[in-house]
Amino acid sequence: MERADLTTPLASGALAGAPAEIDEVDLVPVRTYWQMVRERFMQHRLAVMSLVILAVLIVFSIAVPALTGDAYRRSNLAYVDAGPSLTAPLGYNEIGQNQSVALMKATQNSLIIGFVSVLIIGSIGSLVGSIAGYAGGWVDNLLMRAVDVVLSLPFFFLILIIVAFFGVGDVRVIIIAIGITGWTVAARLVRAEFLRIREADYVQAARALGVGHRRIIVRHMLPSAMAPLVVACALGVADAIITEAALSYLGFGIARPEPSLGNMLNNAREYFYANPERIFYPGILLILLVLCASFLGDGLRDALDPRQKVKA
Amino acid sequence: MTTYVMRRIIQAIPIVFGISILIFLIVQLAPGDPTDRFRTPRVRPETIANLIRLYGLDRPLPEQYFSWITAFFQVWRVECWGYSLKTGEPVRDMIFGRLPNTALLMGTAEIVTILFAIPIGIVAAVKQYSLLDKVISVFATIGYAIPSFILGIYVMYFGGVVLGWFPLFGMQSLGKSGEPLDIAWHLVLPVTSLAIQSIAGWARYVRTSMLETMHQDYVRTARAKGLAGSRVIGKHALRNALLPVVTLLGLALPSLVAGAVITESIFSYPGIGSLTINSVTANDFPVIYAVGMLVGIFVILGNLLADVLYGLVDPRIKY
Repeated sequence: MERADLTTPLASGALAGAPAEIDEVDLVPVRTYWQMVRERFMQHRLAVMSLVILAVLIVFSIAVPALTGDAYRRSNLAYVDAGPSLTAPLGYNEIGQNQSVALMKATQNSLIIGFVSVLIIGSIGSLVGSIAGYAGGWVDNLLMRAVDVVLSLPFFFLILIIVAFFGVGDVRVIIIAIGITGWTVAARLVRAEFLRIREADYVQAARALGVGHRRIIVRHMLPSAMAPLVVACALGVADAIITEAALSYLGFGIARPEPSLGNMLNNAREYFYANPERIFYPGILLILLVLCASFLGDGLRDALDPRQKVKA
Repeated sequence: MTTYVMRRIIQAIPIVFGISILIFLIVQLAPGDPTDRFRTPRVRPETIANLIRLYGLDRPLPEQYFSWITAFFQVWRVECWGYSLKTGEPVRDMIFGRLPNTALLMGTAEIVTILFAIPIGIVAAVKQYSLLDKVISVFATIGYAIPSFILGIYVMYFGGVVLGWFPLFGMQSLGKSGEPLDIAWHLVLPVTSLAIQSIAGWARYVRTSMLETMHQDYVRTARAKGLAGSRVIGKHALRNALLPVVTLLGLALPSLVAGAVITESIFSYPGIGSLTINSVTANDFPVIYAVGMLVGIFVILGNLLADVLYGLVDPRIKY
């Protein structure tokens, strides 16, 4: 809009009296969808900041464990409860493990679990949602009742049961448990989008041309449902990270010596009185991760899907 | 109205069965079976076989499901939900014994939430874009984003260790069984950590709802005819703004039964949440079945209650 205004005086001034509409149309720079998305995203300062912080955390959580090898699990009794130093900015814990290296490894684990389980959530969600929205009728009804059933059980309770029964401390089980319980919201979003565009002209045109069902779903309709899906996934990363940390905190998730923000927090809690600062390292890192992911989600929502914009 | 409620109840029945099948299947798919804990070298295989027959584990799955689900709804019988594999107690009595504790904890937390969230939300809406609004908004965002177990630990640390005013664990002190003041003392920290999070969520909700109402024509009319600001807000806008909040009350119903798994276990509070954790740790199937079913049923009831309440307080909604 702003650029269109800029061009108007130029067009009307240079070619006074000439039919202005043609020139105006020609002079407005064509902006693709993605350019507009980027512009809208950059306006969301918190989201940009979150993206930067997340990027830094991702780089550190990949680089530090890669450079230090298994230092996060090695304990050195000479360093028990040692204070901060150059190689260990956060000091050592009660069995002489380097806290900062362990924290970075834990972040890595959190991020991997967050991203992989969101991949599962997105796949199942878009599969179920698109089939329900495209087919309609009894298929839709059946699938949506399945969504109701899963939603009727508290998310964490369901995950707890699955993890407890299928393998405590197994990262794969945690990822699958988060994935197969968390897809309901994504499925509802995709279905709603499919219901909206099912009778749209371009979809009907594709149908009239004899395009197969699968191709219509994947190539013509899914891209339209991408915006809400991506937003749901960004917020899903935050939920998945919290869930993993809570499971590990309760002793059902990742077990020591493999560090997780949850089990580090649980361990630090035992040294409440002696080393209270230790409960803050994993805790604040976790809050930072979660806040960044949710701000990123908000920013993406405003950028990708301006219709959904919530007035804050 | 009555037909609507009836129709909703009838629609809910298949979902209850869906939940029961889901829980049943998860437990069935899980590796191992309830006789595993007897399988030691000293127990003869025939004994195990007898146990399997005694428990009915050799019967076909649909039959097992059917006998479980028919027993489940006969709540008046002691054995309806089976016996705990860990303690041998009837599961029904275990759950009924802890229900009042959880209801007390969650109920208190919800009352505290309402008492704080509604005024905070209103202030933020009335003073929109002011410094106060921004501060509230920042705290609400952060409070909502902090995972409950971190909040629990930090509240415990500040209230119990730094200040040292409140007990860290449990529901009552030794030798002071059932003194209301003692219980209230123990409730402070868990209620605080539960309330911070829900106040953050509710305050944002109240604020949005209040802002929406304040932009409506009838509120402008009330202002235009010279009504005092406090009266416009307190009498005209507030009543409509709180309509959606009533829905939240219905949706909070299941938590009265389910409790807060994480917060209860952090504070070792003897409620349903910590019972869940304990029984999941001990693979105590009957307890997990019962808690899962109960929570599922109350979630459905809560949704129904929310819709019915909304219809009652908002006459514009017709069923």
